[in-house]
Amino acid sequence: MNIPVSVIGGYLGAGKTTLLNRLLADPQGVRLAVVVNDFGSVNIDAALIANREGETISLTNGCVCCSIGDNLALALHDLAERPNGPEHIVIEASGVADPARIADYAASHPRLFLDGIIVVADAETVRTRVHDKYVGDLVRSQLETADLVVLSKVDLIDAAAFRQVRAWIAAEMPGARIVAAPRAGQVADLLLSGATGYAALSRPRADGEHARQFATWSFVHRQMLDGDALRTAVAALPPAVVRAKGIVRLVEAPERRFVLQLVGRRWSLEPEPVGTQDALASDPSVIVCIGLADQLEPEGLDALFASTPVAALPGAVRDLLQGEATT
Amino acid sequence: MPGPITIFSAKKIITMDPAVEEATHVAVRDGIILELGTLEECAVWGPYTLDDRFGDSILVPGLIESHAHLLDGLLWAKAEYVGPIDRRDPSGKLHEALKSVPALVKRLKEIEATISDSKTPLIGWGVDPSLNDLVDPITRHDLDQVSKTRPIFLLHASCHLAYVNSATLELANYAAIKAPGVLRDTSGAPTGELQEMAAMMAAIKAVASDLVGASTDTAQFFNFAKVAQARGATTIVDGGGSTYFEPAFLQAALAATGSPDFPVRIVAHNNGITVPKVEDMIAAATSLKDKGNDKLTFQGIKILVDGSNQGFTGRLRAPGYLRTGANGLWNRAPEELTRIVSAMHAAGMQIVAHCNADQASEVFIEAVAAAQAEKPRADHRHFIVHGQLLDEAQLRRMAALGISATLFSNHMYYWGDFHRAHTFGAFRAAAMNPAATALRLGVIVSAHSDTPVSPVDPLLTMWAAVNRVTTTGRVQGPKERVSAYEGLRMMTYNAAWLLHRDHEIGSLRVGKRADFTVLGSDPLTVEPMAIKDVPVLATILGGRVFSVAG
Repeated sequence: MNIPVSVIGGYLGAGKTTLLNRLLADPQGVRLAVVVNDFGSVNIDAALIANREGETISLTNGCVCCSIGDNLALALHDLAERPNGPEHIVIEASGVADPARIADYAASHPRLFLDGIIVVADAETVRTRVHDKYVGDLVRSQLETADLVVLSKVDLIDAAAFRQVRAWIAAEMPGARIVAAPRAGQVADLLLSGATGYAALSRPRADGEHARQFATWSFVHRQMLDGDALRTAVAALPPAVVRAKGIVRLVEAPERRFVLQLVGRRWSLEPEPVGTQDALASDPSVIVCIGLADQLEPEGLDALFASTPVAALPGAVRDLLQGEATT
Repeated sequence: MPGPITIFSAKKIITMDPAVEEATHVAVRDGIILELGTLEECAVWGPYTLDDRFGDSILVPGLIESHAHLLDGLLWAKAEYVGPIDRRDPSGKLHEALKSVPALVKRLKEIEATISDSKTPLIGWGVDPSLNDLVDPITRHDLDQVSKTRPIFLLHASCHLAYVNSATLELANYAAIKAPGVLRDTSGAPTGELQEMAAMMAAIKAVASDLVGASTDTAQFFNFAKVAQARGATTIVDGGGSTYFEPAFLQAALAATGSPDFPVRIVAHNNGITVPKVEDMIAAATSLKDKGNDKLTFQGIKILVDGSNQGFTGRLRAPGYLRTGANGLWNRAPEELTRIVSAMHAAGMQIVAHCNADQASEVFIEAVAAAQAEKPRADHRHFIVHGQLLDEAQLRRMAALGISATLFSNHMYYWGDFHRAHTFGAFRAAAMNPAATALRLGVIVSAHSDTPVSPVDPLLTMWAAVNRVTTTGRVQGPKERVSAYEGLRMMTYNAAWLLHRDHEIGSLRVGKRADFTVLGSDPLTVEPMAIKDVPVLATILGGRVFSVAG
């Protein structure tokens, strides 16, 4: 299987480390590799450390934390080629890095692919930072690159200020997908694509804070889907949807299953890699969207996806397609 | 028991000492200058051996390369030089500039014919099409003319790009590598040009893995030293990326430099580049303080503030890069830099800060100002490396705060036209590397090559500061030209001062080290445009003569 790579960017002090700490402490069963600039910044709980060897710390929960050393590409290639290596890689971009440049590294090895660029922004200070004479251009470009913006430290500002900063980002960066949390770590589980196959689509845990902020909408259909209709629907998802995953069967290639991945603005719909099991006629198409609880409108999503099953096509066309699909 | 005395005679000895400027003889004992003057004046110390092989030559204080990188030595060890600039290799052999793609292909074919094993990759370095007469891109089709089966990998002079042939693309499975830096033609096939490490790494791992990771090959130290020595250097800086704090690397460095045949002194900056935390930088610098030897010492901690101007990653003040107004990249956040500078300053360290463009310099100068306010320190000798766009206001502030600089004078020659046309425009290109203004304002400056970025050649660097001429012959910023005397002082005393070594080297005076460069003519009196062609006949290091090939 190919390995998804997430890039966590954002200026100093935004909360990247909090997010990484949470991921390492609770990787949700995913064999995770976190690549950091400096071990010192992650403060891994000593009880979690199984072994430390050079640039790699192995944890008792199966995760590893690697320091970039002087060559990020080398660190990533090493992870990509490890036997029994990670199922997901998260790179901490430095506070002054352009996350898009770091994301290029996800395409530096055939086994890696970019899952998404997550930029953490300090809700209290981000609007002043973008006017800083030294780093304003950098902070702005980091936000512009984000597939998903995580507004952190929202507990330090009042509701009106929060609405203002969210509206400001939405206005400055059209199409931005924004989640908010008092601590960036609280949105950690949004980042992991989780186990592979249908197991990845089980509902995310609904602990208190998470349940208050996020809602889930899902779609299960026994029929194959129309690829173009599905792509159109995904492209039209409202900004309230911040994460989506799916395994679908498409009439355009009935012998394969396709994987839908969406992180904020970035999404892909790709056939499962060669070598995975052939699709079974009984495999359903399943899509799960995770969105902001106060904004997600299930009816809107129902309507958006209503035209994707081939059953929605005119009867004659549908019969023709289905006929081809089963022969 | 003092050792024997040798007296060297010369046509003229230029001391660069303000009190006694010239001599004809120098007496040396135990690596130290015993006397300078006439033969009679030197002879009063007692029995001596007269060495008059340089009797018709000019002796100057050993030239100092104030900013270079050991990587130069590694590249000579692991790859073939095929760049558009004349360079001499460690054996003294001249590799003539390859200034067009056909010339490059012809040379590569010659090299290819000498490699017997059919699988051995052909690795080259120093390529830079932007300096070619015809700025044509290099493609896999060009390199396939050299070989379709042997992997070829050519590293760009900037180390940010590479060019490969079809065999390398196939071996490293570039069909499956989607990094945007893998340039593709209209059919979607890779052109062979790989931009940035994300695109280059698969090829490096497949065919040139020697070029990444810390090498402990002792040849890199000798190569680094020999190339510089052949151009008259007796002291060279290893500018900060090396990992001397790793025992295996330190051991390799000590083994090489400990050899009596090692021809230069290396002053290595401590690594503040790949070490993330300031406490670790300070700890490593402290522990290395006394770990060197006669030819390897550690001085200052090198940090990076921004990127490179020709790569458009230097941090500029308004209005930014020419036409686009874009700005470059910080290597460290300004507020983090301020903390690091403050901690190093308070710990008594010397800070060596890579600041290529003027906003980077501004942030560093302000960080030192804040550190000085917290803890005033005299004679810290913090200095800026490159400082290419320093202006009068910054230089005055540097003078007030005790900051000095080593300027990138070679840039005016090699990239002066490029900067005028593409990065800075006319005014800023003419104002680059303002050595004359710096010296007038009391800022002590040296100049450097930054090898492998440009060839290590102190006389060429002096020539560049004195003439400010570009490769097309344009004089840019004539007001910033320095005199030949100032130019030589930049490459001797001033460099020694930056390195806290001016009590030992950098000028000739009784009691200082017997480090000399032997020249065929007087660089202070030749036609200024001929300074770079003054022959280097030999160097003398601690009284020992090292010949120069050719």
